Amino acid sequence: MDLAGQLTSYLYQYFDNATFLILAALGLILIYGMMGVINMAHGELMMIGAYVATYSYHAGLPIPLAVLCAGIAAGLAGIVMELLIVRHFYNQLLSSLVVTWGLSLVLSQGALLILGPSTLNMPTPLGSFSVGGFSFGVYRMAMTVVAVLLMAGIWILLRWTRFGNQAQATIENPRMAAALGIDTRWIYTTTFAIGAALGGVAGGMLAMTTAVSPFFGQGYTAVAFITVVLGGGANALVGLAVAAGYLSGVQTLLSVMVNQYLGYVSLFAAAFVALLVMPSGISDFLERRRSRKVQR
Amino acid sequence: MMCSKIGLSSVVSGYGRVRIVDGVSTEVAPGEIVAVIGRNGVGKTTLMKTLIGEVPVKSGEIRLNGRDIGGLTAPRRARLGIGYVPQGRGIFSRLSVAANLGLGVGVGDAARSNFDRVFEFFPILEKRLQQPAGSMSGGEQQQLAIARILVGNPQVMLLDEPSEGIQPSIVQEIGRTIRRLRDQQDLTIIIVEQNLSLIQAVADRCLVMDRGRIIAEVRPDALNDPALAKEYLAI
Ligand SMILES: Nc1ncnc2c1ncn2[C@@H]1O[C@H](COP(=O)(O)OP(=O)(O)OP(=O)(O)O)[C@@H](O)[C@H]1O
Ligand SMILES: [Mg+2]
Repeated sequence: MDLAGQLTSYLYQYFDNATFLILAALGLILIYGMMGVINMAHGELMMIGAYVATYSYHAGLPIPLAVLCAGIAAGLAGIVMELLIVRHFYNQLLSSLVVTWGLSLVLSQGALLILGPSTLNMPTPLGSFSVGGFSFGVYRMAMTVVAVLLMAGIWILLRWTRFGNQAQATIENPRMAAALGIDTRWIYTTTFAIGAALGGVAGGMLAMTTAVSPFFGQGYTAVAFITVVLGGGANALVGLAVAAGYLSGVQTLLSVMVNQYLGYVSLFAAAFVALLVMPSGISDFLERRRSRKVQR
Repeated sequence: MMCSKIGLSSVVSGYGRVRIVDGVSTEVAPGEIVAVIGRNGVGKTTLMKTLIGEVPVKSGEIRLNGRDIGGLTAPRRARLGIGYVPQGRGIFSRLSVAANLGLGVGVGDAARSNFDRVFEFFPILEKRLQQPAGSMSGGEQQQLAIARILVGNPQVMLLDEPSEGIQPSIVQEIGRTIRRLRDQQDLTIIIVEQNLSLIQAVADRCLVMDRGRIIAEVRPDALNDPALAKEYLAI
């Protein structure tokens, strides 16, 4: 067997799996980190994005624009969701889970009623190349690049903009933020919309790799959920990167050594083990270690 | 009465159905420093939270320059020029000193915010701009909390126990700064305090609070009487 091709294939799978986790979880972890809410309807926002991207693509829009439309549509849906429902459940993890889970059922069943059960498809763009008899999709690698860019974008937004400062202040102490003239409701709504839009973009991009149906989102919600729980809310981006890197490592290893199914199942086992060691998630664990070091 | 900066008429507020502030009326003139004193748990902090809008007014009126602001949200009151420095300081510990200061522009008219003014009053902050605010000492954090309000363009400053947990020399310095702020920035100040020397250093008069009401008004030097001090201050 060709060693170079084999190794490339492992790496490719590793990044592909990690990208999948990051795309599915980025919007979710942003919302969780900022507002203590896990949005179980995040997969349905991805589904909305997937449909919008597919329809706009078939209507003749170039792919980047179709993905952009997906983000905008999901962002708008997120605004409506936040204003009508989610706003009443901030920092109530359990209630928010139940309510948004209900919402996800409504959205997927609604899509089934309106759009029907048949699946839609988009071709995967950008073709492929091969190394030593293994074939690799360029588009999948492009998705990895986009995932990294999206994370960098969120980091810049939070760290270097006025909105980011206001948002961080609002997470840490919403009352104090309000007393300084910050419209915390607007911050919450906007953050939720950004998280939703990220879900839409992810859905739009993933639509080019798999069939789109009303239940498109359900495959993602579970993995996004465990990635977020493992990542934790203290420093969402770091948590997400480490969680995705770790989970993808385990998944890739088992997929390669045994089979795809076991690779997928191992995600949950790996998360389980990690959570035994770090019950409140990776970012919280790192945060505490860091502050312990500072104190010394 | 029209010339008062901030006025309260029979203000009632509290948490849920409990009345904590139970009919407070008072007028504070422009440029005045009024201390609110009283034992622990009588409702001083709740009164401050009611003034900024964190705790809703159940009945009565809060007036700023004659306009009733009791129904406005906290952000809107802040933008009208009420700066709040809460008990415990309310510093955003994960943000840098600079970022904390930057968030003060929401107090008062944003177009007139000013950082230089702040460094003139609190020079140490200029050297610490990039430091995480949570890593500063209690006294520095207290100065940051006051400075943050000042970055904006406040008319009224609400200070809740600025001396709490701070060493005496810094308390004195804060006292001097508060007086200078009033004199040079035309600030009207309501300060909740238990520290006798700080009260006497800054206040023009003291309102004594007990069980949600103002039960007396005394001059700061009257608190030199140990019996009175014992009755009115939590020590
Ligand atoms: N969030 C809250 N919910 C319910 N009750 C509260 C809340 N905060 C304060 N209280 C109650 O309101 C009463 C007044 O509290 P407040 O903090 O206003 O007193 P204080 O005069 O500032 O006391 P201290 O001198 O200890 O700061 C107390 O009985 C307190 O238990
Ligand atoms: Mg108090």
